[in-house]
Amino acid sequence: MERFFNGESISILIFLIGVYGLLARRNIIKTVISLAIMQSAIILFFLTINYEDGRIPPIGDVTIHTAVDPVPQALMITAIVIGVAVTAVSLTMFISLYHHYGTTNWLKVINKRRED
Amino acid sequence: MYLFWLVLLPLLSSIVAYLNKRQLAAYLLGLSQLLLFLMALYTAFNVYTYGNIIYSFGDNTISTGINLVADKVNIIFILLSSIFFPIMLLFNYHKSYMNKLFLFLFLVLQGLINGIFLSNDLFNLYALIEVSTITVSILIMYKKTSHSIYDGILYLLINLVSMTFFLLGIGYIYKIFGTLDLTLIKQQLTHVTSTPGLILPYTLILTPIVLKSALLPLPRAHGTPSAPSIVSSVLSGIYVTSSLYLFIKIQDTFSSAINTDSLFLILGFTISILGFVLALSQTDIRLILTYSTISQVGLIVFGLSLSSDYSYYGSIYHLLSHAIFKSTLFLTAGMIIEEYDTRDIRKIRGLFKRMPFVTIVICFALLGISGAPLFNGSISKYLIKKGSDSIQLLEYGLIIINIATITYLMKYTSMFFGNSKKSKVPPKNQKIALILLASLCLLGGIGGQFFINWLFDLNIQFEVLHYAEKFLVYFISLGMGYLFYEYIYKKSHFFQTIRQLELSFNELILTITLFFTGLLSYLLLVQ
Repeated sequence: MERFFNGESISILIFLIGVYGLLARRNIIKTVISLAIMQSAIILFFLTINYEDGRIPPIGDVTIHTAVDPVPQALMITAIVIGVAVTAVSLTMFISLYHHYGTTNWLKVINKRRED
Repeated sequence: MYLFWLVLLPLLSSIVAYLNKRQLAAYLLGLSQLLLFLMALYTAFNVYTYGNIIYSFGDNTISTGINLVADKVNIIFILLSSIFFPIMLLFNYHKSYMNKLFLFLFLVLQGLINGIFLSNDLFNLYALIEVSTITVSILIMYKKTSHSIYDGILYLLINLVSMTFFLLGIGYIYKIFGTLDLTLIKQQLTHVTSTPGLILPYTLILTPIVLKSALLPLPRAHGTPSAPSIVSSVLSGIYVTSSLYLFIKIQDTFSSAINTDSLFLILGFTISILGFVLALSQTDIRLILTYSTISQVGLIVFGLSLSSDYSYYGSIYHLLSHAIFKSTLFLTAGMIIEEYDTRDIRKIRGLFKRMPFVTIVICFALLGISGAPLFNGSISKYLIKKGSDSIQLLEYGLIIINIATITYLMKYTSMFFGNSKKSKVPPKNQKIALILLASLCLLGGIGGQFFINWLFDLNIQFEVLHYAEKFLVYFISLGMGYLFYEYIYKKSHFFQTIRQLELSFNELILTITLFFTGLLSYLLLVQ
């Protein structure tokens, strides 16, 4: 059982939940949330790369043999920062879209756009 | 050593432009752009005399540091971008929305695009593309009309979603190879015996790049109609070029393990024809140009996948030429829209009488894009054709693509004729910028032979008889394009139905997911 429920399979499952949200939900806020879900799935995926039980975080004075691979962790700090920026920008844009069209629904935005 | 200055200098100058008064900032910007161009020229000189330049950040070993690499192909694109951006700035100098913030974003984009060309590290590429996506989408919605806000947010979210696929792909690559450097991955791939494990990461990485390089005909994803005209021309000109360069790089890295040439040959042809149908059915002049980009990208990918040196370099040359003539067309389209106050091609008449200078510039660009002899498009199309010589069917495919190109350009020329009063002459800076671009179109054609020999070490010879043949083929294609436009397009209702088509956000995501699963299952079946 543990063979199948590792970090990789769980993260792909979460990633697919995000993709489902993008495909099936018409609410723009939910789109942004789905995007955030996909990003956290990727963070989980990266952190479980090359991970073995008993390894310690690569902080401070540790020998190479006991610490986990520091590269994915360093990459993910950057990815988290980018993710925050991205969510902030998309929500800001959404606010201006909402001021113009007064709806949170993708389809209604298209319909109102046609009327203009 | 100085390679990172090609990325850093535009970023620094953007901050300087933001902090200083307009007059002073203009001088400083001019100076920094000149410096950047000289630096690019110097780097190109070094690369062509001494070979590739590699700069490694932080650590000095190539395997652990983040690397910037300048080679014979990407340095040409850097040169192109350092010519391209000053011309755009010159063109837009007097516009009212061209304030500090716009300049800041625009120059940041220049730095990021240079970074995308130079970077050899996958995660570095991810960060650069992600930031450039944000910058581009803010630039698209800069005028804050309700149309542009929708276009901006759609562009942003679609690209962000596709970039999460890219990041997941990077994770797999790191898991398999333990490195993210493309050169090292390519080296290690030669030792790989079993390829199925590579298919998933390859597909994950390729999907967003295919989306960004306008290979998926997603409406309004490139050169959105409501954006400022220089933003559209940057998007359709240099930004698509940078994504296609990534496409070339990724294909090159994985070529020893996964061969998708035949798939992309068919896909390139299909996209080219699809782009033509979509371009022909539009009435918005910006959208005609946008879909024309998709059609041209199809041709470029077609050429890249022919597995012949001639067509490969021909495609790269076409990529350069395309950036020049498409940006010319987008800039002039912006001027036309301002003058007539409409984007509808049916309402624009008598352009030749009203704006004679602009019409002549458009003619230069149209001759370039349709591959008229003596213009830049002809050289690249000749090279792509030379690569397809061995198989008759491919050659016919190319002729069909070219006739298709001419057909939608016929529609574009329909606005030249008719009566109208003469308007005032365009400002001097716009005139100079347009003359520069138009002369580049001509220069790329006349000096094409020299450029090809010098840049790619390919020996091509043109004879007088050959030119006569080219003229003949060009005129026959012109005639056929005209007949198609007059007798089939005008009488058919098929194109009107296509015009109504607009995909919503969810459908766009579905298209991307379908492309991803399609590519994945194709590769799994073939391997």
